[in-house]
Amino acid sequence: MPEREVTVASSVGLHARPASLFSQAAAGTGVTVTLTSAAGRSVNAASILGVLSLGIGHGETVKLEASGDGADAAIETLAKVLETDLDKE
Amino acid sequence: MTTHASLAQLLAESSIVLDATATDVDDAVRQAGAALVATGAVDPEYVDAMLERERTVSTYVGEGVAVPHGTLAAKGAVRRNALVLLRLADGLDWNGNDVRIVIGLAAVGRGHIGLLSRLAGILLDPDRAAALRTATDTAEVYRALSADAPTP
Repeated sequence: MPEREVTVASSVGLHARPASLFSQAAAGTGVTVTLTSAAGRSVNAASILGVLSLGIGHGETVKLEASGDGADAAIETLAKVLETDLDKE
Repeated sequence: MTTHASLAQLLAESSIVLDATATDVDDAVRQAGAALVATGAVDPEYVDAMLERERTVSTYVGEGVAVPHGTLAAKGAVRRNALVLLRLADGLDWNGNDVRIVIGLAAVGRGHIGLLSRLAGILLDPDRAAALRTATDTAEVYRALSADAPTP
């Protein structure tokens, strides 16, 4: 199963705006992607509430996992989102 | 430590409006902002930052709940962590989502991460989210929020 570790670039962490953009991107991939925090808790990346509940801060390393058709592309897309400082836009 | 205060402790009873009505999203965000100003948690310019944030990306998080808050640039306008809660009995079209509960947030520094995380932990429980949406008195609001146990 494809997986990738990514360091969160958003300067204030994955809070409302970055979390919202990330979840929208996850839903847009059409693939079920699992996001796991450094503390080891996993949620569906497309659930804003799930992503927010992890309380992921700047610089934290998280894991993205997916399986099936399009898994690699979905992980690639979402890794790019996480590696962008979404608060700067 | 304010960062470890429970969500219920951050929500003053006078900051809960159970019979709120709003004409549109801007109106609801302004009302939430005004309540944060009234409780002394933020300076008035924070409200403009809340409106700006909402126009950039919706703060709708699911379960009929929106969580308007200011941008990073408005951190200087935040005096202390606080929550305010508006219950829209008739609901409001929030960019296509039916919103019943508006929770305005103010957090000093990086406090918003913990606040949003705990709030999301509560809303992920459909029963607690429903209890919040249908609360008819402040005691019910506090009961829903004080089930603020850390998720396993």
